[in-house]
Formats: sequence, C-alpha cells, structure tokens
Amino acid sequence: MRSTFWENFATTLRESGSEGEKAYHRPHRPSRLLGSHGSSSVHDGALLSAKEVAPLDAAFMSAEPAAAPIETRLRDLRPTTSPVEFVARVVVCERREVTRKSDGSRRPLLSGLLSDGTATVRFTWWDPPREEIERGLVLRVVGAEVREFRGRPEVTFGWKTRVAPASPAELPRVDAEEIPFRTVQELRPSEEGFRLEVRVVRIAPKSVTVGTERRVVHEGLVADRTGAITLSSWSDFGLKAGEAVRIAGAYVRAFRSRPQLVLDERATVVRVEGNDLPDPAQLLESPPRSIADVEDEGGGAAVAVEGLVVGLLPPSGIVFRCPTCQRTVRSGICRVHGQVEGQPDLRARIVLDDGTGALTVNANRADTEKLWGVTLEEAEARLRSQPDPSLIEEQLLETLLGRRLRVRGAGTRDEFGVTLTPESIERVDIDLDAAAEELSARLGERR
Amino acid sequence: MSLREPAWRVTARELESSFEEEKGEGERPATYLLSPFGARMNRVLLAGNLSPAESIGRDESQSFWRARLSDPTGAVAVTAGSFQPRAMAQLRSASAPRPAIVVGKAHLFRGRDGVGYVSVRAEGVRSVAETDERAALAEIVRQTLDRLDLIERLEKAPGLTEEQLREGHLPSNWLRAARASRERYPNVDRVAFRRELANAVRRVGGESGPSRATLPTPPTVTVTRAPPPSPARAVPSVAERAEESLFLDQLDDLADVSADGYADLKEVLSRVSVQGLVGDRAETVLNRLEEEGVIEEPIVGKLRRA
Repeated sequence: MRSTFWENFATTLRESGSEGEKAYHRPHRPSRLLGSHGSSSVHDGALLSAKEVAPLDAAFMSAEPAAAPIETRLRDLRPTTSPVEFVARVVVCERREVTRKSDGSRRPLLSGLLSDGTATVRFTWWDPPREEIERGLVLRVVGAEVREFRGRPEVTFGWKTRVAPASPAELPRVDAEEIPFRTVQELRPSEEGFRLEVRVVRIAPKSVTVGTERRVVHEGLVADRTGAITLSSWSDFGLKAGEAVRIAGAYVRAFRSRPQLVLDERATVVRVEGNDLPDPAQLLESPPRSIADVEDEGGGAAVAVEGLVVGLLPPSGIVFRCPTCQRTVRSGICRVHGQVEGQPDLRARIVLDDGTGALTVNANRADTEKLWGVTLEEAEARLRSQPDPSLIEEQLLETLLGRRLRVRGAGTRDEFGVTLTPESIERVDIDLDAAAEELSARLGERR
Repeated sequence: MSLREPAWRVTARELESSFEEEKGEGERPATYLLSPFGARMNRVLLAGNLSPAESIGRDESQSFWRARLSDPTGAVAVTAGSFQPRAMAQLRSASAPRPAIVVGKAHLFRGRDGVGYVSVRAEGVRSVAETDERAALAEIVRQTLDRLDLIERLEKAPGLTEEQLREGHLPSNWLRAARASRERYPNVDRVAFRRELANAVRRVGGESGPSRATLPTPPTVTVTRAPPPSPARAVPSVAERAEESLFLDQLDDLADVSADGYADLKEVLSRVSVQGLVGDRAETVLNRLEEEGVIEEPIVGKLRRA
C-alpha cells in the first residue's frame, strides 16, 4: 500500500505534475482529529494522493481555520505565525530519531537544507514518509512553520504541513539580473544569493572521503581586484587557471576560520571577458603588505608579507608526529590515537615582524631545511649526539633570528594573532648602497 | 585579543631620549615606553655593535648580564637574566665587540632622583655579518623617518581624520604613537634628531666602520645618575643662555623661600617646565650648569649655587 503511495509521489514528480493529481504527504496527526476519515495505521507517515487528501482537508479546515498559506521565496522568509507555502529543492537531508522525554517513544524526523535558488534554509520534517527523500528532489510545501534560529530563518514541517513532490519548473524563477554582484572582499561566511566575477588563479582536483563516499573536489583560488578567496567546487565546471568567470548560485562558508567560496550543482559558471580582473601572475607576485594590515583584515587567502625573524614559537625544531594523523605527539601519546610511535619531522614556527605587527609562519620540513641548511637526518644525528631537543631549536633560532624573509601564503587569525601557512618563503637581501642613497635623499629633503 | 607586540625599529638615540611611560589596557596590561619620535614601544629591535657582557648579578643563583649596544647615534644597555636564558647565553658568548641584532623589551628604570635609564631586556640576540647589521640599520632608519614624517604631518594639519592619515596603509598603532609623542614631548627638537640620523645612513652605505660605545659601561645598574651624554659642546648659544638664566632664576626663588637654603630639583624642573623648558632640555641645562660649576647638588635632589 505504502509503495503505491510512493510510486504516486515519484510518478507525479516525473510527469512534472504541477497540474492534475497531486500527492501530499501528511504526517501522523493525533487520532482524535482524524475522526471518521480513516485510521492512522493506514496513513501514518505515508504519502496520500490528492483524492485521499481532499476529504481530510475539509476536516483540517474545520478543526483549525488557519489563514491560507502565501507562496513565498525562501529569500523572503520571515519568522511569522502564519504558515507559508514554497517550492524548493532538497540540498542535503538526514534522517534521525529523537526520543521523547515524556514517554520515551521515538519520533522520526528528517532534517537538512532546502534551496530555491534565492536562499538556502534548514528544514526539520517531523514524521517524514518512510520512502527515501533524495537530494535534488523538488518539493512543494504548504503550511510550513517559519522560525528563527541564530538569526537565520528555519522551516518546520509538522502534522499540519502538506508536502508534495513538484517539478523543477515550479521553482521560483530567479532573474539573473536580480541577483546582486558582490566583490571578494565583501563575502562573508554563510552568504549566498550573489553573483561574482573572478579570475581563477589556480585550480586542481583532489580526491576526498566524505563519510563513506569518495568524491572529487576541485580546490583553488579565485580573485578579483578587491582580494582573493579559496574555492572549493564539488561539481566539475571545467575551470582552468587564468579564466575569468561569472559565478552565480555559490555560497560562502567558513573553513579554518577563513571564508571559502563553495560551488556545487546549484551553481552556474559562465566564462567572461574579465578585462578588469587581475592577472593571476600579478596576484601571485603582489608586493608584500604591512603585517598590521594583514592583522586588521584577519589574514586572507593570498597574503604576502616581509619582515625579520624575531623569534620561534614552540614546538619548533624536531617534532614527532602521529603516523596516522600527523598530529604532534607529546610524551609518545597522540591526542586521538593514544600511544603511538612518533615519526620525526622538522618544522619552524617563525615569528615574523615588520615593525608594524607580528605574525606566525608555520614552516614545514622542506622550508625549514632550506632556511636552516640542515636536513632532518642531520638534525636527528645532532639529537643523538646531544640528546636535548631544545638545543636543536636553539641552533635553528640562532640561524634564523634577524633574517629578512618574504612569505606568501594563506593567513588565518585567532586570539593570538595571524598564522600564515606558507606557499613560499624566500630570503630577501637588501641592496645597501641603494638603501643608503634613498635614505640620505630623504634626510637631505629638509636640510 | 592580545596580539603580539611588534618590535619597533629604533636607534639607540631614540631609546635614550625616551622617559615617558604608558600603561596598556586589559587584564594584564603591557607597559609602553613612549619616545619623542613616534614610537610606543613594548618590544624593540636594534642593530649595532655589541660589547662583551659583564655579570652584574649580585648573587650566584640569580645571574644577570649586561652588554652595551652602540649604533651610530648612541648606545644603550642590553641586559639578560635567568628568565631569558637564550639571550643570556648569547650575550655571554662573545669576548670582543661584534655586530649584532637585538630584539627585546624596552625597560625604563627610574632612579631615586627621578632620572630614567632605558635599557633593553633582551629576548633574542644574534651576532650577524656586518652587511646584515647595516641592512637592519637601513630598516631602522627608514621606519624612524616614516614616523618623523607622520608627526610632521600631524603638526601641519592636526585636523586630519583617521582615514586621511591612514591612506597608504599606515598602521593604526603608529598613528596612536605619533599622537602620544606630540602630546608627551611638546618641546622636543625633532629636526636635530633627524640630522643625527645622517651618521646612521653613512653606516648603512658602509662609509663608516662599526660604532664604538661612546661611554664606558657603568659599573652597576644602581648608579645614581647616568653619565651625562656629553659630546664636546660648542659655546652655548644665546637661546641656551636664556634657558640657563630661566633655570637659575627659578632655583634662586626656591632657595630663598626654603628652610635649608636648597632648591628642590623636582620643584625647579616643574617650574621651568611651566615656562616651556621641558624634559630633556631642562636636563641638559641642569647638566651644563653643573659642569660649568654654576650650581651643585651636594644632596641628591637638592640644588644650590656653587
């Protein structure tokens, strides 16, 4: 019986049944309201065809004379007492059960994200149909309740809400011209419903495990004249470095406390001329900025700074890492994997200071070896002859202190300041004659 | 958010000229030493010639070492104790003067007579090649000039807004420091200081050799008065004579009304400062008068005509 209902649902969906027979899902409702129209054992948690729904509707209306829901776009959702109607696509969803405190019974719910192209909202669907609700399914929802959680609207489907499959054609038509343009600098986490014109600075596919699934994500960096932002694309748009593109339907999330632009199947990418967009080479070789500036802006995806090494932060020098997760091991114990045999590694947490501010540069083994001129193997040999790791750190500091470095990379800010994950660290030498000339000219100006 | 304090690039002369302090905000406020030339220093970075260190610790378990860092503008004491073991080891390691870069905290010690002595409590010391020292000095001079230029802009147009001043991405802490410097050192001769930087520029260009400490290292930190910074002086100008007579007038007035016939040093200084003779310059006048034997200070803080 139930499978028939579900077939109804699916058929309606396939035949883009905005007209004709509609299948509604009505979750379980208290039997006292059901009256003579049927037993909950039949209709409990299943989809009803429109014919079956009709008499039930009358019962609803008489029991609860609510105002007719108004069809709205998700962008215009506001927390109200009156129910709303909308058409939206399931972006992600997850089925769970919650245990009632009162009697310990378990109540199923489905929650996730819905998007209609204008905005994405969280939804909670109490007593959902047993059939699987897949990502990408378009639903027409009538009589949902809108609430606000942490400043963002959320919708809840209760027993009064009717949910039916709909066709993608029913999704609100969003006029491309209507979507506002944003610059990279303006993007903030959890922002969406914007258009963006950017230059792809670099992009590369990467295979990741999401839950149990292997997926390919295209990671890279895009930029306009106001700044750069990392990009993570879960669909392949065939992006190539150097291209100028107009992106719509992307959203911004916070990744390692830095905004990241995320593209998925909802996004559209159009190649554009992009004459006013920066040249990728130019962006990767931009002159260094003051560290005070970088501190003010909280880092950035492509930061270049220059300063003197004024210290090292622990742990620097030889560290031991967990073979499974690469975390540093303390007293032979990994935070996650317990007792492990630590693998030796070389690193330097450099404090770089340019007189306006200071930040931390986390140099990896290759960079540390290059700066120090000592390889990990040599450092290990030293450690064997003088078994005090702090001496290694001391010798590393001795080499680095006061050295002028230019560092490029991605910066994040936390309560201790900005930390740079470097892409390149170069030693910089000053032309002393030119410097003397420039300085004496500046002194002479006022004589 | 307590960010790491930047290391202000300063010359020894700028440190020597600083005696105004300011407390930061927050739960554990940092102390800042304000310079007359636009630095609000907690941490500093200097480059110069570092003398061999001597132990000044009074007891064995609490070792404390001091060396002197000389750059072309002056010299400043660099200290390190057992709380800075690495810097201390570095200070102790040399037996002859060598070019070095020093990072540390600016520290102001006020003697009982109210005279301040600035030293640097080293966090990091490194012997470097001469070219590295000159490169660091180049940056020090450049940033010092930047700060002086900023103060000058503030003086010319005090009404400039934060935004106008920050054009060209000027750090906000620099702006704050420049304002504080103008306020706390209203009568400092910044033009003269600017001229002194010429020596440093010559050093950057390699025209002069390593700097020598102009002064011998004082025997202990608890000296009652720093040896006067006395590069051989020319005959005092008319203006300087006027300052001297202002100083002497105030001294006489106070001595007349005091019970013991001495004028209190602090009172004299506060009186002359009202008349525009402030801080450094009052100190210079006092030193000059003492040197010339016009006045004497038989008891610390008490002045009379010789």
